Amino acid sequence: MKAALAPSSLTSLSYRTNSSSFRSSLLFRSPSSSASMTTTTTRGNVAVAAAATSTEALRKGIAEFYNETSGLWEEIWGDHMHHGFYDPDSSVQLSDSGHREAQIRMIEESLRFAGVTTDEEEEKNIKKIVDVGCGIGGSSRYLASKFGAESIGITLSPVQANRANDLAAAQSLAHKVSFQVADALDQPFEDGKFDLVWSMESGEHMPDKAKFVNELVRVVAPGGRIIIVTWCHRNLSAGEKALQPWEQNLLDKICKTFYLPAWCSTDDYVHLLQSHSLQDIKCADWSENVAPFWPAVIRTALTWKGLVSLLRSGMKSIKGALTMPLMIEGYKKGVIKFGIITCRKPL
Amino acid sequence: MRLITHNMLSCNIKGVTNGFPLRIEAGNVIEKEVDFNPDFIRHMFAKLEWKALVEGARSMGYAELPEDSPDAAVLESDESFLKKLHHALLELHLEEGALVCPETGRKFPVNKGIPNMLLHEDEV
Repeated sequence: MKAALAPSSLTSLSYRTNSSSFRSSLLFRSPSSSASMTTTTTRGNVAVAAAATSTEALRKGIAEFYNETSGLWEEIWGDHMHHGFYDPDSSVQLSDSGHREAQIRMIEESLRFAGVTTDEEEEKNIKKIVDVGCGIGGSSRYLASKFGAESIGITLSPVQANRANDLAAAQSLAHKVSFQVADALDQPFEDGKFDLVWSMESGEHMPDKAKFVNELVRVVAPGGRIIIVTWCHRNLSAGEKALQPWEQNLLDKICKTFYLPAWCSTDDYVHLLQSHSLQDIKCADWSENVAPFWPAVIRTALTWKGLVSLLRSGMKSIKGALTMPLMIEGYKKGVIKFGIITCRKPL
Repeated sequence: MRLITHNMLSCNIKGVTNGFPLRIEAGNVIEKEVDFNPDFIRHMFAKLEWKALVEGARSMGYAELPEDSPDAAVLESDESFLKKLHHALLELHLEEGALVCPETGRKFPVNKGIPNMLLHEDEV
């Protein structure tokens, strides 16, 4: 993991507000094309081997990052490792519980946007859920409890999986949720098993977005829904082949810190979904609805408790914290977007 | 790992067509009591792979389930059956052991109840 840190990576450990902030701590350089969705290459065996090795390195790095930092996040922010959803322009200084409510609201708004909770029939039919990139299981426990369904979470981090199980037992939900160490790009499930495929802020970590979407589509059951909530870069305009160099530079710095392998746009996800025969493909830009979260995380990091915890936690977390302002800059300048993309597999 | 989870897991090594169900090598199996919720069990029944469940339960030392999947009517009337199903699905935990691909023999370790399903580079 330490070997993966490039010398210039000091500015980029993004301390993401949601649990996702800890997620991408592996340094993984994407190709220069900013619109690239995949870091694997077909340009020759050597290149493929190199990419394969770096994929292993990325996986290991993500796992180690979350092994180290999950505890810190949970201590300060609780078991939901994602952004809160706020009314736009809410300038209220929310209390901690206000932010936690916002994180729950993010789940509910996502379900509503996808059309899951607006349809009673559909709600009743949800029996199996997969939580892709489950963190310490906040979403799994919430969704399993809400729908009376079985939720299976996958994460690269054994520490997170263990913690997720412990929390489930403590909340008497152990019979409804389970957690595995597995790769979202090679999910250990047969085809078409899940009524709801949930990816809450995990897409950022996927080095190969096409493969990621393929897996989501493969494991969703006929009639089931896919919900992807993720950080993206802005959509490119017609005729634009790539982001502006200054935009790419900003993202690169964040990638280094948070170890994001590659950014894509919401449009890219929509196109990927369209290439499969899926129905009801929808997307939205929720950047305005998550704006208060980053400043709130910075505030908690700067409290006495936050600083002490950061120092105890280690370099990965500290570097992450130092990159938070870059995330805010990215949002303010319209480079970074918080997007939701949902669809349904036909019966 | 409980059998309700095992019922969903399969081996996705590239080229494998018969990766389900995974054989269970039971190292350490423990029993943890879970509140009996008959509705939840009925709810889950429809999507269970029955054979996989029966074999898996046997591997974990529980042989009380019938070989063939019962009719849905049994679910309504026979509470003792529901309790057996509840026990098999939710109360048996594989803490240490392995899940074995039926086609390739590849072993996926289970530690502290958590299966590690990560594939190696040459398996994807």
